[in-house]
Amino acid sequence: MSAPVHHLDPATVLAYAAGALPTAFAIVAAIHLEVCGPCRTALRAAEGVGAHLLGQLGGAPLTAGARSALRQRLVDEPIRGPDARAQALASRGPDMLPPPLQPFFGARYSRLRWSWLAPGIRYLDARPDSQARLLLLQVAIGHAVPAHRHGGHELTMVLRGAYEDVLGRFGPGDVADLDSGTEHRPLAVSRQCCIWAAALDAPLQWQDAAGPEMARHLPH
Amino acid sequence: MEPPDWSALMGRVARTRDADSFMRIYDHFAPRLHRYLLGLGVPGARAEDLVQDAMLHAWRGARQFDPRRATLSTWLFRIARNLHIDSVRRAATAAYGDEFANGGEDGTAVDLAQAPSPEAYADHVGLSRAIDALPALQARLVRMSFLEARSHGEIASELHMPLGSVKSSLRRAFARLQNGLTDAAA
Repeated sequence: MSAPVHHLDPATVLAYAAGALPTAFAIVAAIHLEVCGPCRTALRAAEGVGAHLLGQLGGAPLTAGARSALRQRLVDEPIRGPDARAQALASRGPDMLPPPLQPFFGARYSRLRWSWLAPGIRYLDARPDSQARLLLLQVAIGHAVPAHRHGGHELTMVLRGAYEDVLGRFGPGDVADLDSGTEHRPLAVSRQCCIWAAALDAPLQWQDAAGPEMARHLPH
Repeated sequence: MEPPDWSALMGRVARTRDADSFMRIYDHFAPRLHRYLLGLGVPGARAEDLVQDAMLHAWRGARQFDPRRATLSTWLFRIARNLHIDSVRRAATAAYGDEFANGGEDGTAVDLAQAPSPEAYADHVGLSRAIDALPALQARLVRMSFLEARSHGEIASELHMPLGSVKSSLRRAFARLQNGLTDAAA
């Protein structure tokens, strides 16, 4: 995967750093951060700001036994060598979904059980919580999601293939971090189907007749 | 009184597994992490469990702490925040009834390793100065984000501001803080 060229909104990075993003958004942000050095650097800066602000607060005491319980557990807990996680990530096969998506959709692209949405478009739907939904979309070359705006915040990241819209070309690792004002019509342009993950906190606002027709097939 | 050199103390923990040094770190940071998690809206007992988990992760992962890349407070904050995100996510995936729901090591997990690229990070004096220099509204929005973990939408409705203005103010604030960080590190 070449380096992403479309990045998280700095306001989204701040909210992720604070732990304040709804789960669906935090998941899409996390899978971008995994592949994007510049956004990780921004995240570290935001975390530094957060840690600093928290340092200015007093603490909230823990319950009476907490300290001795923790002290006791140190005895049994070895200090580990370098984390195996980085190697695990590097050795992830091309058929594996990013780990944060796996609990919702399964581990492998080849085993995804897509639902039909419109000609050339299939989807999977998850509801991590009441605040936002998490979708996977698969769009075949030459097909587009009908033109829409967002009632709220949309965060998407391309996992495979590429699409184009008014904002440019989006390939693997690229995110579109969109406010309600943006109207777009993502058109799949890669030979391989374009697959992307999308977090949405409000219904889409369709701009032509094809949208509502397609949306009839989406569960509410 | 001079504050302890937390990085040096953590280095000693990594080298010698000195539990007493670690407990000094615990005594200072655990209540602060607790306050942070309560501010995020995590229920009391759960917040305390997350603090204990975060401190255990820090103990086990002591060798991954690199004082050239982050302060100890930032590192501990990140561990607690990641554990919080994972715990919320696990609750969300419980409905999906798979093995990830049962506390396996999944997800973003606790990113003990630090970013491979060099990071600009400054001493707290530089950061304090940058935060103090923010316009009042920007400073307030940043504080609400971190100390009350308010979503952009919540901030917008509480302050009667358009959502777009909240986001653009936060963007400007973050850009100023990052510039302040770079200046201070130079």
